[in-house]
Amino acid sequence: MHGILLLTRAEISRLRRNKRYLLFTVGLPVILYLIVGKQAARVYGVSFTAYYMVAMATFGAFSGALNGNAIRISEERKVGWIRQLRLTPLPANGYVVAKILTSMVTTILSVVIVLLLGRFYGGVHLDGWKWVVIAIVVWLGSTIFAALAVAIGYRFPPDQVQPITILVYFVFLALGGVWFPLSGALKTLGQGTPTYEAVKISTDVIGGISVPVGLPIGLVVWLAIFVGLAILSVRSMAESL
Amino acid sequence: MSHSGTGPVVSFENVSKHYGSLKAVDGLSLELRRGETVALLGPNGAGKSTSLDMLLALRKPTSGKIRMFGSDPYHAVKSGNVGAMLQSGGLMPEVTVRELVTLVAGLHPRPVPVATTLRRAGLEEVADQRVDRLSGGQTQRVRFALAIAGESELIVLDEPTTAMDVETRQRFWAQMKEEVAEGKTLLFATHYLEEADQAADRILVINRGRLLADGTPAEIKSRAGAKQLSFRLEHVNEPFLLGLPGLVSLDVHGDIVHIQSSDSDKTLYAVLDAGYRPSDIEVAGLGLEQAFLAITAEDDRAAEDEPAAQTTKQTTRSALR
Repeated sequence: MHGILLLTRAEISRLRRNKRYLLFTVGLPVILYLIVGKQAARVYGVSFTAYYMVAMATFGAFSGALNGNAIRISEERKVGWIRQLRLTPLPANGYVVAKILTSMVTTILSVVIVLLLGRFYGGVHLDGWKWVVIAIVVWLGSTIFAALAVAIGYRFPPDQVQPITILVYFVFLALGGVWFPLSGALKTLGQGTPTYEAVKISTDVIGGISVPVGLPIGLVVWLAIFVGLAILSVRSMAESL
Repeated sequence: MSHSGTGPVVSFENVSKHYGSLKAVDGLSLELRRGETVALLGPNGAGKSTSLDMLLALRKPTSGKIRMFGSDPYHAVKSGNVGAMLQSGGLMPEVTVRELVTLVAGLHPRPVPVATTLRRAGLEEVADQRVDRLSGGQTQRVRFALAIAGESELIVLDEPTTAMDVETRQRFWAQMKEEVAEGKTLLFATHYLEEADQAADRILVINRGRLLADGTPAEIKSRAGAKQLSFRLEHVNEPFLLGLPGLVSLDVHGDIVHIQSSDSDKTLYAVLDAGYRPSDIEVAGLGLEQAFLAITAEDDRAAEDEPAAQTTKQTTRSALR
């Protein structure tokens, strides 16, 4: 565990220097919220400012978990860093565990910043426990994408990871109602996505609506699927690192 | 220290690694003893890298057994008994040399002070540069630094001096000798035969996944036919030359004859006894490179001729012994 924490610390200090990563996980959600966030409309039974706050928190956390990891894992596999680590006393799964821990530490930052923005710029007022629940749902939900990033990054070379990631990114964010609220046919289509589930659980909590049990179950199922895929990728690549 | 017995540090017991029908490693058996400096020699595709990968638990053998410090390779590596540097090993991007060495030292149960490692690897001047902005030779030294960032009893180096200039290479080996003087065991693969000759006290020659020769540099040289005998002779009679005692190989260019012989005196006397009077006679010891080429070439020839030329194979084998 000591080794995993050391590696996690090194990964975090690397990410802190990465401006592109900070732009996607923190910069973009903040900018979008400042531009689009203040509207009078009501969405999913709550004010637009509240909806857009959880949407942007989900955007930053999920895209950070995916973009921050998939390409880097693939590149680090290509340059042989994963192989080099296997020659050290770090346990074999230490690399992946450290990546996911790193992702969780950095996404919490983006979630907290966007929620603070919603509170003090958007004027969203909630009970204390609701803030905590929203933050945890979005934060833990982003591990779904961290697992997906491991599955993709381990399986494909960097030049293929780029388009695959972009595709997954757009499908899940657009269909998940993260950039704009879903209605009609799009809503039917997008309801099963983990991004929609994370946003909808949050808005239901804000609106005081009882959360349909299918939503959290959906998140757990997605997590199980992507963790399974990640394990398959890591195993199948064990001898070709 | 987890292992202080007198048993072998590393043992391969009839180890094979097959990829489909390709036998990358084919029934390899060997032992490394404490304190030895061993060079692993072989042409490209001989199975060197696959063998090192299996030793370091990066690949699993198809069959056979590898033991290291009395346990399986994975646990030996994870307990910090092995410091390794592979050609295919890469560096974490976006960090400085010092940060990376500090990280890897921290992963080790018996870390060496970072300043010591940087000095030993000759990295003090570039310690605060980013690893992805270094030259090939500097990158190679960082890989080496990672292999010695912890106190390990066995050091495994795959082509450690590739991309180093001559001066750096000499400094590297001087440094390495200091490292192993403390009783460490060193296994290295190399393409530079003079390097194996100078640095190793034991050489393993592998070809087509099998161990062909195992001995001191001097033994390997003598094993390939001790001497190279050359002379000029008008009207060469090749059948006669092929029948000479001690002959291992024969090479004729016009009137110039090159013979590799396991007993050059006897060979030369036989030429003289037959009434020939060759001129420009030269007798020289084989260098390690020639010995290596001779050993692997014999092996390749034997493989190609199988099973038609069973007899030639027998004679070349006996000549090699």
